[in-house]
Amino acid sequence: MAADGTEPTVGRRTLLNWLLGTSLGATLAAALYPVLRFVIPPEVAESPTNRVLAGKLSELPPNTGRVFRFGAKPGILIRTASGEVRAFSAICTHLNCTVQYRPDFQHLWCACHNGHYDLQGKNIAGPPPRPLEAFKVDIAGDDIFVTKGA
Amino acid sequence: MRILERLWASLDERLGLAPLVEFARHKEVPRHRTSWAYYFGGLTLFFLGIQIVTGILLLLYYRPTAEAAFESVQFIVTRVPFGWLVRSIHSWSANLMILSAFVHMFSVYLLGAYAKPRELTWWSGFALLLLAMGFGFSGYLLPWNELSFFATRIGTDIAGKTPLVGPWLLRFLRGGDDVTGATLTRFFGFHVALLPMLTSGLLALHLLLIQKQGMHVPEGEAREAQRRPPIPFFPNFALREAAVWLGGLALLAVLAAFFPWELGVKADPFAPAPAGIKPEWYFLFMFETLKLLPPHVLGIEGELVGLALFTLGGLVWFLAPVLDRGSRRGVRSRLFLLLGWLALAYLVSFTVLSLAGVFP
Amino acid sequence: MIPRAVLPLAGLVLAATGLSAPRPATLGPPGKAAVDTCLDCHRSLDESRLSQPAEQAAADIHRLQGITCAGCHGGDPTAEDPEAAMNPALGFQGAIAPTAVPALCAGCHSNPAFMLRYAPNIPTDQAAQYATSRHGLALAKGDTRVATCTSCHGAHGVLPADDARSPVYPSRIVETCERCHGDASLMQTYGISGREVADYRQSVHYAALTQKNDLSAPTCNDCHGSHGATPPGVSSVSNVCGTCHLTQRELFDLSPHKEAFASIEQPACEACHGNHAIHAPDDAWIGVGEGQVCGSCHVAEDGGGQVAVQLAAHLGGASRAIAASRERVARAERAGMLMDEALVQLEEAHQALVLARNQVHAAALATLEEETRRVLAAASKADQLAAAAEAEIRFRRTGLVVSLVAILAAMVALALKVRSMER
Repeated sequence: MAADGTEPTVGRRTLLNWLLGTSLGATLAAALYPVLRFVIPPEVAESPTNRVLAGKLSELPPNTGRVFRFGAKPGILIRTASGEVRAFSAICTHLNCTVQYRPDFQHLWCACHNGHYDLQGKNIAGPPPRPLEAFKVDIAGDDIFVTKGA
Repeated sequence: MRILERLWASLDERLGLAPLVEFARHKEVPRHRTSWAYYFGGLTLFFLGIQIVTGILLLLYYRPTAEAAFESVQFIVTRVPFGWLVRSIHSWSANLMILSAFVHMFSVYLLGAYAKPRELTWWSGFALLLLAMGFGFSGYLLPWNELSFFATRIGTDIAGKTPLVGPWLLRFLRGGDDVTGATLTRFFGFHVALLPMLTSGLLALHLLLIQKQGMHVPEGEAREAQRRPPIPFFPNFALREAAVWLGGLALLAVLAAFFPWELGVKADPFAPAPAGIKPEWYFLFMFETLKLLPPHVLGIEGELVGLALFTLGGLVWFLAPVLDRGSRRGVRSRLFLLLGWLALAYLVSFTVLSLAGVFP
Repeated sequence: MIPRAVLPLAGLVLAATGLSAPRPATLGPPGKAAVDTCLDCHRSLDESRLSQPAEQAAADIHRLQGITCAGCHGGDPTAEDPEAAMNPALGFQGAIAPTAVPALCAGCHSNPAFMLRYAPNIPTDQAAQYATSRHGLALAKGDTRVATCTSCHGAHGVLPADDARSPVYPSRIVETCERCHGDASLMQTYGISGREVADYRQSVHYAALTQKNDLSAPTCNDCHGSHGATPPGVSSVSNVCGTCHLTQRELFDLSPHKEAFASIEQPACEACHGNHAIHAPDDAWIGVGEGQVCGSCHVAEDGGGQVAVQLAAHLGGASRAIAASRERVARAERAGMLMDEALVQLEEAHQALVLARNQVHAAALATLEEETRRVLAAASKADQLAAAAEAEIRFRRTGLVVSLVAILAAMVALALKVRSMER
């Protein structure tokens, strides 16, 4: 009888210790997992600022342009026939399409409704009501950096 | 197990650790009706620990410049895995730490635990609370969003009203004449270097004094504390405290996941101040009181009068162990007890009313 | 050596002497005068009919250039005596008859050599254009109710056309034309409804002009011409609209409608978009049902009607897909997720939809379908990204619940442990 009386207490105590150990272990794991994930840097390793590396000078021959991204918004980098590098918002001021550089016109053009902008981003023909927003361009070696709102 | 025992033996031999173990074995916590108050100091410590861990984690990605601060916090909460959680916990835990520290302080005051011989513990605790508020004030600016920018401008402006040293203090805090990137760099330095250093020292003193003097038993509870057996600190009280900490952790997890701390809009120093600029909630009672004061009281600028009153109130609070003469003999004056309740009522009512938007 | 300060004075004296000589009755180039007794005298007259012109003339571009009242009215502006100043023998005439106005203005404005001295940048063909306009033709027949130069530009106090206060400044032309063209009873005598200006005020063009302050948005004269004002003919409507809406015009020229419309003398753009009350186009216009534009020629059974129904179906599907994705992405964004990539996809979808809508002008079902496929593809990519974000939110919630269960279990275990120890 005595053995029967002590047996459940020991069992309960073991169970309690197991529960305590497991739950504390789980809590620790729940706390450590986010921490371990946090310290591994994400794929995009740098925090975005209002300045982006928009392209390489060597990949931008005169009389061409290329679209780059400022977060979710497109910008366009152009190199004029005379070799000057400029950058504008690529969002057409008419209906928000993305503009492109037309080497044959030697200026910016929006395919949606045939809007034309000159090399200063000024609307010169078609429906666009306003000029494109201009960005600041810095060239460091071969890298072209574009700064917004400067 | 053999290895652990031998490690312990060799450490004990060199450092003389046995008395510490002996001390811990005999450490006890009195058991009476207001024993619950003993948990809040520990809870504050727990939240501080969370702050240190999450703060160090945030430092891995945060950049303390006006150009990149906002973007780096945005990067943390959007791109870094669990960054949203770490940042949100850091913000929530900061607030819970201050709240828990306030509960701790008021319970200590109202139960008369500041009395002789615990003056130093009271004073170090008071200083620790001020440091915690300093952490809050400096940390608030670091995400460099619109609200924090203007709240900092107002806060430093108030500090600049101090007689004599005001203009110097203003320039010291702002790192210039206005809140700029220089202020951010400075506040970052305060937040991660200066304040942690001061806090560590004071906290060590605070904890040491508690170990040295043991737990205080309130006057009315002395008989009950003698009648009931005390709680052994190890392991009973420690396990109870652990349960309280886990409760704190659960609360943090819920708050961080369901009410993620907002990032707001990047600060623009040239934009007009948006409506509804408010400091952190623990500065609200001061903020609202200063707003309520008339522009001039007896020919002196209202804000200055308010600041003088706060300083005076703080000083009385700080010097309570000295001013409350009876407390040294274990007899507390009714006046100081009443003062404590009044202070609590004032703080709670102003904070709640301000949060409820009652003040214009 | 002559002191410099004297030179301008000398110039004035020369100009004054040049003018004081009798001028032929036919209007030659007016000179300049140092003194202008017309203004001095007329300003002090009580009768406002006589004093107002003098007051208005103060800001007049001609006057600022030194051309006096006598430049148009003749007479001698240096004479103190009214009789001498307003001497018909010196070419003086009072109020100028409407029929005489164009010739009077043309005296200078159609003379390139003369205009070159004052305003080399403005054209000199206004009178020639005016003569071909509805206004000019009617005036030539002796109808004096029609607009002449002064009706739009003002008579005294004429401002340059690029001065924002001028009645012919782009944002003010509507009001200027409305003075006559808003008068239904007057307009009906010419077989015009008189509602045109009110209609125009409903249009996207007027909204762009007044709300977006887009001065390049067309106002009355951009389609009708300024001096040669006339309604564009059936064949020229698409040319007029096409000066800005080039893409649509090119696509329309490729469509079967071009020849069909020409054969029944139906103006092109106007047939669907209207003329003055041009509203923002809507996909719901396409179809043969009630209030849908294709229905005016097609029925559901003919080939065109079937194409119209399909065009509408593709566009409707595409814009619904974009709206749904946009809503889903916005929801994820509000929940604190970074949706940059999805926004890029939505922009792409939007652009493809704009291009698809262009194809309506060519009634090119295949090309339009291709564009709407691009819309659907981009919108579905955005949708997938939103779904991934939603999954992430669910994962966070689940993670929270799991952690909470662990924490609560630990709390319970601790409580039980303490109780079992203290029993």
